[in-house]
Amino acid sequence: MKIKRYRRAAQLLTVFAIFFIPVLNVFELYFIKGTFISMDIGDAAMADPLAVFQSMIAAGRVNEYMLGSVVIPVVLMLLLGRVWCSWFCPYYLCAEFMSWMRGKLRMKAYKPKFAENIHIKQSKVRYIFLFAGLVLMAVAGVPILNLISAPGIISTQAMVLVKFHYVTFELVFVAVLLLLELFYFRFWCRFLCPTGTFLSFFRSKRGMTVRKVRTECSDCMSCVRSCPMMINPMTMGDTSHCNNCGDCVDACPDNKKEDTLKFTFK
Amino acid sequence: MRNRFTELFEGLLNSNPFKNYYKKNRLRPPGAANEETFMELCIRCARCIEVCPYDSIERADLFEKLQIGTPYVYPENKACYLCMRCMKVCPTGALNPKLTDGKHVRMGIAVINQNICLNFLYYKDEMTGVSSTGTAQLCGTCYNVCPYTDEAIVMEKFILPVVTDKCTGCGICTEKCPATPEKAIAIYPEGMPVDKNTGYFGRRSKVHGEERKKSKDALKGEKLLEEKQKIDSSDAKPDFEYNTENYDQEW
Ligand code: SF4
Ligand code: SF4
Ligand code: SF4
Ligand code: SF4
Ligand code: SF4
Repeated sequence: MKIKRYRRAAQLLTVFAIFFIPVLNVFELYFIKGTFISMDIGDAAMADPLAVFQSMIAAGRVNEYMLGSVVIPVVLMLLLGRVWCSWFCPYYLCAEFMSWMRGKLRMKAYKPKFAENIHIKQSKVRYIFLFAGLVLMAVAGVPILNLISAPGIISTQAMVLVKFHYVTFELVFVAVLLLLELFYFRFWCRFLCPTGTFLSFFRSKRGMTVRKVRTECSDCMSCVRSCPMMINPMTMGDTSHCNNCGDCVDACPDNKKEDTLKFTFK
Repeated sequence: MRNRFTELFEGLLNSNPFKNYYKKNRLRPPGAANEETFMELCIRCARCIEVCPYDSIERADLFEKLQIGTPYVYPENKACYLCMRCMKVCPTGALNPKLTDGKHVRMGIAVINQNICLNFLYYKDEMTGVSSTGTAQLCGTCYNVCPYTDEAIVMEKFILPVVTDKCTGCGICTEKCPATPEKAIAIYPEGMPVDKNTGYFGRRSKVHGEERKKSKDALKGEKLLEEKQKIDSSDAKPDFEYNTENYDQEW
């Protein structure tokens, strides 16, 4: 069974949830409530760690509600890696859809050649962008990075759509990003997304990680070609770029004979 | 090192246009921290908006000074019915989750415009014997709908509604007030400076200030002090020519 099937199911379930949760709430069922900036399931509160971090900086203090709401995302991140991105984020699903569209439109895919040091370049851009955003946010004194959090926008817009039957201008931002996805392969998730960057700070090498468990393999490079984050799964699975999507594990032909590229815990 | 430029710079840093932006009849949800802290804490997650069973809370628009996505209650459209749900879901404490009793909510304060309020008009008509509107209508809706009747709104002389400091600012009175085209009762958000609310002495000092600007030979500095020192209750009172007529006018 391919990992991608499970992943797709999880993604579709989340998309369904962002529309269905507001419906539940319209009928006053409050067991599960919230958006992807912050969500409650039963009594467990979760919030986007970056959003909470911003309000910590802006307010210059920390309170127990803030700390309580980042526990689950951070623990999940430490245990399972950046699964939020590839298994749940609605933007990621849209971006994958755009890749598929590009194939259908017979556009020449703009995917740069793999280079061993590409992740360093990616990291530089990501950190500079996040840092600049945080500085801007601190000057304004208002958590404004949430205004460019793609998953947050998508889910709040879904909620507004269900509850008030309109959408606001913020959706244009996501639409423009998706349009650009047609020309620059996964540029938002690889280079810019502040939510993803901040989450990846909590990446632990002991959590779920893609590793080559055999020393030898047929060196077909299928995994390198399949990786949406443009890294080499055989060596860089434990960097903060890998979002544990499992595409490389699916792509590896050696896995059929003997475990080669696998998700491992350490 | 203090000069005009450092002062200008300080002024710029201290007056953050994004954090002190008030409008009449536009309130933060109940339990909100003061506007400045609220803008710092609120991560615009829309949870409070989602959970409100009356659809009272709305998202702010795009073109309102970076307020976009923050929650507002517009009592003219839909007031807050103090069900106390929204503050429980706030993940950052922008709305105080410890608040459980509606009577401690202070979203703002209701202010009655006595020139429009039907009851005040009725009372004036009756006192003067002249009808200003041609029709006499008695209302009292705000008194009846207020969740804290007789605490937050009391009736003076049995017909004149007066708002007390127990007012929670929920805005139900504003939503229901029948006066047209403008509602006779409006909510001023907590923290918004309202000169209508400054009370008798505030109003008087304002009149003084304006009078002083007008007259050339107004008392100033030493002369004023001298004049004030002369005040002595045992003796004949000195003359101060202050116009007291418009102290009680509608502001
Ligand atoms: S990087 Fe950002 S947009 Fe991309 S999948 Fe992760 S959270 Fe979603
Ligand atoms: S290394 Fe593998 S699991 Fe990680 S992002 Fe690339 S393809 Fe997905
Ligand atoms: S207290 Fe209840 S009615 Fe008032 S804004 Fe909050 S959820 Fe809505
Ligand atoms: S629940 Fe709190 S943080 Fe979220 S939008 Fe409402 S006030 Fe802001
Ligand atoms: S509801 Fe409006 S018109 Fe009626 S008494 Fe109250 S303020 Fe006056």
